[in-house]
Amino acid sequence: MQLVDMEIAGQSEHLMSAREAGLVTCRRCARVWPMARATCGRCGARLVSRDSKSLQRVWGWWLAGLMCYIPANIYPMLQTRTLLSTSESTIVGGAIELIHHGSVGIAIVILVASVLIPVGKFMAIAFLALSVKHHRIVPPRHRHGLYEIVEYVGRWSMIDVFVVAILSSLVHLNVVASINPGPASLTFALSVIFTMLSAQAIDSRLIWDENRTPKDDVA
Amino acid sequence: MPPDIPIKPLRRSIWERFSVVWLIPIAALLIALGVAWQSYSQRGPMIVISFESASGIKAGETVLRYRDVTVGLVEKVGFSPSLERVDVSVRLDKDIADYIDNDAVFWVVRPEVTTQGVTGLDTVLSGVFIEGLWNTTPDGLVPYHNGLSDGPLLRVGESGLLITMRAQGTAVLAEASPILFKGIKVGRMGKPKLSDDGTDALSEAIIYAPHDKLISSATRFWDTSGFSFKIGAGGAELDFSSLASLVSGGVTFETIVSGGRPVADGTVFDVYGDEANARASVFSDSSGPTLEVTVVFDENVSGLSAGSPVEYGGVRIGEVTSLRGLIDEAQYGDSRVRLLASLEIRPERLGLEEGTTPDEALAFLTARVADGLRARLATASILTGGLKVEMLQVADATPAALERKGDGLPVIPSTDSNVQDVAATAQGVLKRVNDLPIEEVMGSVIRFLDNASALIGSDDMKNAPGQMVGLISEARGVIGSEAVQKLPENLNNLLASLQGTTDDLRKVLGQIEQADTVNRLLAAVDAAGAAASQVGTSVQGVPALITQIEALAAKANALAVEDLVARSSGLVASASKLLSSDSTQALPVTLHAAIADLQSVIAEVKTQDGVTRLLKSIDAAGAAATEAGKSIKGVPDLVAQLSAVAKKANELPLDQLIAELTRITGTANTLLASDGAKDLPATLTAALAEVQAVLSDLRKGGTIENANKTLASAATAADAVARATTDLPKLVARVDNLISQATTTLAGFDSKSEVNRDLRSALRELQKAAEAVSSLSRALERKPNSIILGR
Repeated sequence: MQLVDMEIAGQSEHLMSAREAGLVTCRRCARVWPMARATCGRCGARLVSRDSKSLQRVWGWWLAGLMCYIPANIYPMLQTRTLLSTSESTIVGGAIELIHHGSVGIAIVILVASVLIPVGKFMAIAFLALSVKHHRIVPPRHRHGLYEIVEYVGRWSMIDVFVVAILSSLVHLNVVASINPGPASLTFALSVIFTMLSAQAIDSRLIWDENRTPKDDVA
Repeated sequence: MPPDIPIKPLRRSIWERFSVVWLIPIAALLIALGVAWQSYSQRGPMIVISFESASGIKAGETVLRYRDVTVGLVEKVGFSPSLERVDVSVRLDKDIADYIDNDAVFWVVRPEVTTQGVTGLDTVLSGVFIEGLWNTTPDGLVPYHNGLSDGPLLRVGESGLLITMRAQGTAVLAEASPILFKGIKVGRMGKPKLSDDGTDALSEAIIYAPHDKLISSATRFWDTSGFSFKIGAGGAELDFSSLASLVSGGVTFETIVSGGRPVADGTVFDVYGDEANARASVFSDSSGPTLEVTVVFDENVSGLSAGSPVEYGGVRIGEVTSLRGLIDEAQYGDSRVRLLASLEIRPERLGLEEGTTPDEALAFLTARVADGLRARLATASILTGGLKVEMLQVADATPAALERKGDGLPVIPSTDSNVQDVAATAQGVLKRVNDLPIEEVMGSVIRFLDNASALIGSDDMKNAPGQMVGLISEARGVIGSEAVQKLPENLNNLLASLQGTTDDLRKVLGQIEQADTVNRLLAAVDAAGAAASQVGTSVQGVPALITQIEALAAKANALAVEDLVARSSGLVASASKLLSSDSTQALPVTLHAAIADLQSVIAEVKTQDGVTRLLKSIDAAGAAATEAGKSIKGVPDLVAQLSAVAKKANELPLDQLIAELTRITGTANTLLASDGAKDLPATLTAALAEVQAVLSDLRKGGTIENANKTLASAATAADAVARATTDLPKLVARVDNLISQATTTLAGFDSKSEVNRDLRSALRELQKAAEAVSSLSRALERKPNSIILGR
């Protein structure tokens, strides 16, 4: 019933949230309870209408992810040691080198996966977190869509790390050539994990709370 | 709609108000800060090394190595402000930073292929790296260094003596060529370069410890590279020291004379073209101070030139530096041109101690000149006619001193030169030799020898020695007989007695002299007068005496004196041959006795007064005469007895002796009269005549003329040699051919030979392989995934 309403409501200009209806949903088993209820009667989960620390967590993870992202770009991602030389390449440096060698497609993939998506994620999360307080700009629908995208794309951000992991395990020809993950691969993986956690920390219900005063938000 | 539930805001603790998630960024921040701090504190200082070019150096990749351990990384490759050099910034390890002081040197190690081998092969794979070398005392960081274009000779972990080589003559300094000692590599040459003034080719070289002890100031180096080819009396000779040095060059050395001092780093040594030059150089070392002196030679002979040697006692002590004519009428009294030679003398060659100053050497020379040291011109080379100045001690030199003339240089006095016109003299000698009648001489000699052999082979000659022996033994018997042996002794006695008699006579006369001569004479005259008167009285008796004497004489005359005389002469003749007979032996004794009697008589005379004794004597004489007259009758008996004696004497076996002697003499005569003996002198004479003829020829010719002729012949001979030498060009051409063939062979070795071709193709293969590996690595570098993708 509620779900149907919501689906219908999605198409309307305004729809009433559960909170406005004085209800609270169990986020584990989806049972709706009255607002006063502290725990879910069915699965025993704690019921919170709005996660008051959600934004703190978002920003915390976000900040950690961003901090990890900086060395991930500065330090080399990949150490390629061949018979003749050892070369280390950072994410962007490697991509640029690939472009120079004509492998534009691969360069674009790497740039998209390693730069565009993470940076976009940072921006999207920051936007979502900020828009909770300043939500007039973009309709909640679009913001929710953005949230979904961020959630979905986040796991694929690990593609770089996977490439490095596979290469290091495959190309291990001892003297002739070997590829080792550089320090950036670790920090990049951490950054991806932190941004995923940050995205997950967003309480998407906050998107729908409109005309909320800061006082209400805290409550 | 449920009832409005009053919601009481809860007072929450800070832990509840803030999420624990914030710990994550805080931890990340702390870790980042920690890492940053750590890397900052661990980071070493940056130095800049300036190179001519940065070939192969890559920022962030090229490392700095010390003893093959990475101690730094190139961070930046840039230019110096004027773009003249490349500044390579190297981030050093913190630990070694303090050691990079002023003595640190840096160079780029690149792969290098030389005849000595391949070095820096590891850089083919790893890329070039910068090698650093510094000492073990930390003296503080110096941030700016000039990189070397080549590594220093003395590499890390090596110690030795660094010297400088200077090429002399045909010697060639080849980079990195080995320095060999008795075939063992003991050092290495560095990169040759020209000296600042462009006159010498210099090269650093190192002799590794402990072989550096072999090097002293008396050590000489020479080039053993290449080969030498000689054709001489001993045949053809191809000489090269080792195949390696033939290709790559090499230097070897030997300490030729003892007494060298140890040398310090940086000492300059000459490298000579071959061993002979190196050895000769010991005596022509051009180092050390020199003493300038001049000599004025009366002769102005060609042949002396600048660079001609100056020798003292056969040792080269210097050389002629310049020559000029000198006309000094004031000093020499004529206007002839004299030769003024300036000499450069090396004091240490005079046998003076090391480090002798020219002044000390001059003092030495001054003393020697006072002792007779003179300079003269002498022939240095017979063939070229070159001259040298020779210092020699002249025993009877006219006194002279080392003086200083107008131009301030001391002048050594000169003496007659010893220059031979060798060509002319030798010519004369050879001509003379040519003219010798050798065939005739040989013929004569042969004939002489034939005669000699015939003579020696004759029976007479064979018997001669036996007869000679007999003769000699007999002669020895005679001489050895007792009588003959005693003869001298008796004669001695006789003579002694005679001497005694003479002495007595002398004494008598002395006494006579000693007596008051005038008085005694007067007395004597008085006495004579008295005597005369007495004589006058007694003169009457004189005629009687005279008559008696006359009668005696007549009687004596009447005696068979002739016969006696004849017999006596016969006796005497016999006696003269009979000195060794018993009677002869007795004779001296008798004589002695007689003389003794005489002596006693004289002694008596001595004791008596002269005149009275004379008178008495005369009386006695008179009496004696009368007695004689009386006794003269007994003379014939005496004579008869004497005759008997003589007869006996005659009967003695003298005849046999004489007969024997005669026989011997006869034999000798026969011997000498034999044909052989007769021929011998003739032959000898003939031989001697010929020898005499030769000598007379020689004498007639005159020694000098003959010598001149001989030397003239030598000149002809020399002409012949000269004619022979016209063939020399052909020989030289042949040698040329040979050498050109050798050259072609070597050139073939150089460009065409199979070895070379193989080597070249091998190198090409190697190059290709390296290129292949290089491209593979490059591909890998660019596309690591190509291994997976198979591209």
